[in-house]
Amino acid sequence: MTLLRLQEVSKAFGGVRALRGVSFDLRPGEIHALVGENGAGKSTLVRILTGAVKADSGTIEIEGRRVERADPVVMRGLGVAPIYQQPALLPDLTVAENIAMGLERGGPWRRVDWRSRRERARQLLARVGAAVDVDALAHGLRMAEQQLVEIARALGADARILLMDEPTAALTDREATRLFELIRDLRAHRVGVVYISHRLEEVAALADRVSVLRDGELVATRDMAQVDRRELIRLMVGREIQAIFPKRAVPIGDVVLAAEGLACRSSGIRGVSFQVRAGEILGFAGLVGAGRTELARVLFGLTPADEGVIRLRGAAVRVAAPAEAVRLGVAYLPEDRRRHGVIGEMSIAANTTLAALRAITRAGFLDFAAEREIATTYLQRFAIKAPSIDAAVATLSGGNQQKVALARWLATRPSVLVLDEPTQGVDVGAKAEIHGLIVDLAAQGLAILLVSSELPEILGMSDRVVVMRAGTVAGVLDRAVATQERIMTLALGHAESVPA
Amino acid sequence: MSVAATHRRELSVGAAYGALLVALALFAPAFYQRANLRDVLVGAAPVLVAAVGMTLVILARQIDISIGSQFAICAVVAGTLAKAGLAMPIAAAGALATGAALGALNGVLVAGFGLPAIVVTLATMVGLRETLRWVTEGVWVRDLPPGFQWMGLGQDAGRFAIPGLALLVWALVAWGMRHLAGGRAVYATGSNAEVARLTGVRPRRVVFGVFVAMGALTGLAALLSAIQFIDVQTNSGVGFELRVIAAVVVGGTSIAGGRGSLVGSLLGVLLLATAGPALTFLGSQAYWDRALQGLIILVAVAADAFGSATRLKARP
Amino acid sequence: MSYERGLALCLVLEIALFSIIGWNFFTPGNAGEIVRASAEIGLLALALTPVIVTGGIDLSVGSLLGLCAVVLGVAWRDAGWPLPAAAAAAIVAGVAGGGLNALLVARLGIPPLIVTLGTYSLFRGLAEGVTAGVKNYSDFPASFLFLGQGGVGAVPSQLLVLVAAAVGFWLMVHRMAAGRTLRAIGFSPDGARYAGVSVNRRLGAVYLLSGMCAGVAALLYVARLGQAKADAGTGFELMAITAVILGGTSIFGGRGSVGGTLLGLATLGVLQNGLRLADLPAELAGVVTAALLLAALGANRVFQGRDGT
Repeated sequence: MTLLRLQEVSKAFGGVRALRGVSFDLRPGEIHALVGENGAGKSTLVRILTGAVKADSGTIEIEGRRVERADPVVMRGLGVAPIYQQPALLPDLTVAENIAMGLERGGPWRRVDWRSRRERARQLLARVGAAVDVDALAHGLRMAEQQLVEIARALGADARILLMDEPTAALTDREATRLFELIRDLRAHRVGVVYISHRLEEVAALADRVSVLRDGELVATRDMAQVDRRELIRLMVGREIQAIFPKRAVPIGDVVLAAEGLACRSSGIRGVSFQVRAGEILGFAGLVGAGRTELARVLFGLTPADEGVIRLRGAAVRVAAPAEAVRLGVAYLPEDRRRHGVIGEMSIAANTTLAALRAITRAGFLDFAAEREIATTYLQRFAIKAPSIDAAVATLSGGNQQKVALARWLATRPSVLVLDEPTQGVDVGAKAEIHGLIVDLAAQGLAILLVSSELPEILGMSDRVVVMRAGTVAGVLDRAVATQERIMTLALGHAESVPA
Repeated sequence: MSVAATHRRELSVGAAYGALLVALALFAPAFYQRANLRDVLVGAAPVLVAAVGMTLVILARQIDISIGSQFAICAVVAGTLAKAGLAMPIAAAGALATGAALGALNGVLVAGFGLPAIVVTLATMVGLRETLRWVTEGVWVRDLPPGFQWMGLGQDAGRFAIPGLALLVWALVAWGMRHLAGGRAVYATGSNAEVARLTGVRPRRVVFGVFVAMGALTGLAALLSAIQFIDVQTNSGVGFELRVIAAVVVGGTSIAGGRGSLVGSLLGVLLLATAGPALTFLGSQAYWDRALQGLIILVAVAADAFGSATRLKARP
Repeated sequence: MSYERGLALCLVLEIALFSIIGWNFFTPGNAGEIVRASAEIGLLALALTPVIVTGGIDLSVGSLLGLCAVVLGVAWRDAGWPLPAAAAAAIVAGVAGGGLNALLVARLGIPPLIVTLGTYSLFRGLAEGVTAGVKNYSDFPASFLFLGQGGVGAVPSQLLVLVAAAVGFWLMVHRMAAGRTLRAIGFSPDGARYAGVSVNRRLGAVYLLSGMCAGVAALLYVARLGQAKADAGTGFELMAITAVILGGTSIFGGRGSVGGTLLGLATLGVLQNGLRLADLPAELAGVVTAALLLAALGANRVFQGRDGT
C-alpha cells in the first residue's frame, strides 16, 4: 500500500501558479528524492505536505485514507514530520522538553511528568545514535545535534513520512554519512523519506526513486538506477547544459592579498598563510567547520585577527571592521544570502549601493540619479529578472537575489572578492550565469577567493585550491593536480573513503 | 549542564541578597526589629503578587507598563464596592475581575491585533489613568465600612495574612509554571512563538492569557495594598510598574523571553524591598528612590550583557 | 490613498471640527499658540524619528528633559553661572543622558526597550533627588524668557528652532547617506553590518542626538513656563512617540518619514489646543491621545500588509 499519494495537486499564490496538477507517491521503506530548480515548486510541495499551506485542488492520501483538512497539527498526527535545514527547536528549553512538546496532548491544565519526559528523550536519542544530554538547552547544540533531536522527535511521534529539505547543508561530511546511515535504517523500518536536495551526488547515492519538478509540474519520476546526472539536469532545466564551468585561461598578475600566520582565537583559525593574485581564482575547500567561512570573516573584519598579518599589495593592513575592509577594497559575499547578503525589504537600487554609498554621496547628500544609473547598469549587465530597480529584493528568486548581492560588492570596485558558497540554493540555470560572471571578473583583474562545499565547483573554477582542516591550511593544490580524492584526503587528515 | 550553571542567576541574586542582609546586620541592626521586618514584608507583598504576573508576561516575550494604572483602578473599584455595602469577598472579587478585564484589553490589542506590547501598554497606561482621574475627579474613596480595612481580620492578623497570601499565590503559580502544560507553553511561546505553534501551542492564546493573568494579579495586589488603609486613594500605583519590572529583571528573567524563573523574581522582590528601606536606615532619603530603581534595572541588564554570551534572537 | 494623505485629511477635518466647537480657534494668534505649545514635544518627536527608524525606541526623552531643566536651574541659580553657560550645561546634560543610552544600546547591545525604561526612571529620579522633590527654579531673565514666551506678532520664537530642527532631520533621514544606513539598520542590523555599515556608531549617534534635543527642548520648556522643576516634561514621551507613530513611521524600523512626524505632531497639537478651547476636560486629551496611538498602530499594520512585505 502506498504511504503517501498526491493526485493532481495545484496551488497558486495570487496569480502565480506554483504547482500544476502534481501527482506524486511515496512507498513504505522508500527514499524518494525530489529535485528541481529554485522556483520549481519543491518547497510549496513540502509546505502542502506539512499542512502549512492548503492546496487549491487535488487530493492527498495517507496510507490509503484521504486527508480532508490539512494543518500542521493534523499532518503531524498522521505521521508526517518535516526536517528542515534550520532545525525548529525551542532554544531556551531543554532537549527533553523539545522532544516532548508536540508529542503530548491535552489542554493547559494537564500535568507534566518530567521523569517520563527525560526517559523517553533518552530512549529516542539512543535510537538515532545521538550522544546528547537530555538536560542540555537546545541553543547550545550544534546544527547536526539539533537535527538529530528533530529526527528523534519525529520518531517519537511515530512518523511514517519524513520530509527532509536540504538536510546536509550545514553538516560535516562525517555527520552527513551518519545521517545517511540513519536514513537507510529508517528505510529498513518501512519509514518513507522524501529527500529534497540540490546535491545530485547525494541524491544518486541515497535515493531509490527520483522525481523532477520543473515550473510547477512533475515532469518525470524515475528509478535512480536508470537515470544519470546529466539526464537529471536536462529534465530539471529542459535543456542541455554543455560546459558546466566556463573557466578559461586568464592573465595572472601580481599578488594582491597575502595572509601570513593569521589566527583568530574566537573562531578557531590558526596559522593561516596564503597568497592570491590579480586574475586568480583561489578555491577554498574543506569540511564544514574547517574554518573557511571563519577565515572569510577574519579577512572582512567581522571577527578581526588576533595574530598574523594581512597584506594588500604588499602593505600590511589592519582590518578591524567590515567598513574598513570595504575601504581597503575587500568585498565579501556571505553564505547566508537572506540574512546577510541582501536586505529584502529594500529595493534593488538601495541594496546595490548600500556598500558603496560613498560613491553616490556628495557632501553627505545622496545623488539619486547616480544611484539609479549604477543600479540599472548592474541590472542589465547581470540580467537580473525584476520589474524595475525599485522592486524589493525579497520579491526576487534566489538566483536573482544573489546577483543583486554580487552587484552590491562590485559597485565598491574591490580588488579582492571573497565568495562564500555563491551558488548555494541557486538553480542550475542561474548557477551557470554566476559562474560566467565570476570568470569575467577574474579576467578584469580581480583576485577572487571562492569558498565552496561543492567539489565539482571548486575543481571546475579554481586556479589553485587551498584545503583547510581544523582552522588551518592542510595543503594547497594546483589546478593541474587537484582531484576530489586529493582534496578529501587533505580535508580529512588521512586517507578515508569519500562518503558512499 | 550542572545545576549551578543553569541557576547561576538565581544564585547570584541570592548571594547579593545575603550580602545585603549581612551589611544591614553590621551597620544598621535596627533594621531587624520585628516591627520593621513586618512592614518590609507587608509592603513587599503587593509587589510580589504583581511580579508573579510580570514574570509570566516577560517570559512570553511581552511587557506591560500599564499595571500602575490598573492598580489604581482596581483599588478604587474595591473601595467603591465596599462602600456600596457589598460584602468584602464580593468587593475583592470585583477588584480581581476588573484587573482581569483591563488585562484582557491589553491582551486583545497585543494578541488579537498584533500590536507591539510596549506601545500598547504605554497607551493604556495613560488612557486608563486619565480616565480614572476624569471619572473620580481626584476624589478619594472615603467613609469605608469597618470591614474593609484588613478584610475585617484586624491589624495583627491582617499583617500576617497579607504576605502569607502573596507567598501562597507565588508558590501556586511557580508550581504551575513547572508542572502544568500551560506554564510550559508560556516558556515555549517566549522562546520561539513560531516553532511553538508547530508543536501545538497557541501563541496568541498564551499571550492573551498572560495579560489577563497580569491584570488579575494586579487587581489582587491592589486589594492587598488598599486594605491596609481606611481610605482608597485615586492616584495610587504611580511608578508601580517600574518597581515590579525592576524586581523581575533583577531576578534574572530575560527581556528576550523564554528564560527566567519565579524563584528569581521572588529573590528580586526581596532584594529590592530590602534595599529601599536599607538605604533609608543608612541615611538616604526617599526622593532618591526612583533614581535607585532606574539604576538597579540598568545594572541588572548590563550585568546580563557582560556575563552570559549574548545570544542574538531574531526580532519577532 | 497613501497613509500620509489620509493623515493630512484627518488633520484638516480636525481643524474644521474645532473651528466650529471651539472659542477663537481659527485665528493666527491661536495657530501661534499651538506652535508654541508643541515645540518641545516637536523637538523630541523629530529626534525620535530616526531612533524608531533604526528599530529602537527611547522612552527616556521626557525624563531627560526634566533632568536638563533641573541642571539649568542648578547651574544658573545655585552655582551662579551666567545664563548662556547654564544653558550649555543643560544641553551637555542632555548629550550625556543620550550618551548613556547610546552606550548601553549600541556598545553593550541591550534592547533599547529596557535600557530606556531604566533611564526613564533614572533621569527623572536624578532630577527629583537633586531638587529633593520640591525645589523650583524661577526668576529667569526676560531675555531668556523671550525664547519661550516672545515672538514677532503671532509668530512665536520657538518656530525658528522647530523649523531648523525639522529641516535638519528631514535632510538627514531622507536626503543623506546617514538616513539610508539608518533604514538598513532598522530592516536588518545584521544585513547592514555585513554591508559595511558601522552599525554601533550609527545607533549611538541617534541616541546621542535624541539626548541633545531633549536638552534644547528643556531650554524651550523652562523659557515658556518660566520655571524649572523636576516634573518638567512628564508624559512628553507618550506624546512624542504618538506623533511619530501617527505619522506613519513603523515601530519595527526601516520605514519612516519626518514629514509624517510633523503631520502627527500637528494633529496632536491641534487636538490638545482644540479640546482646551472647547472647554472640554484636560483628561480627555490624554485619553484621546492614547486612543490615537492605538489607532495609528493598527493603521500602520494594515498599510504595511498592503505593501506586500
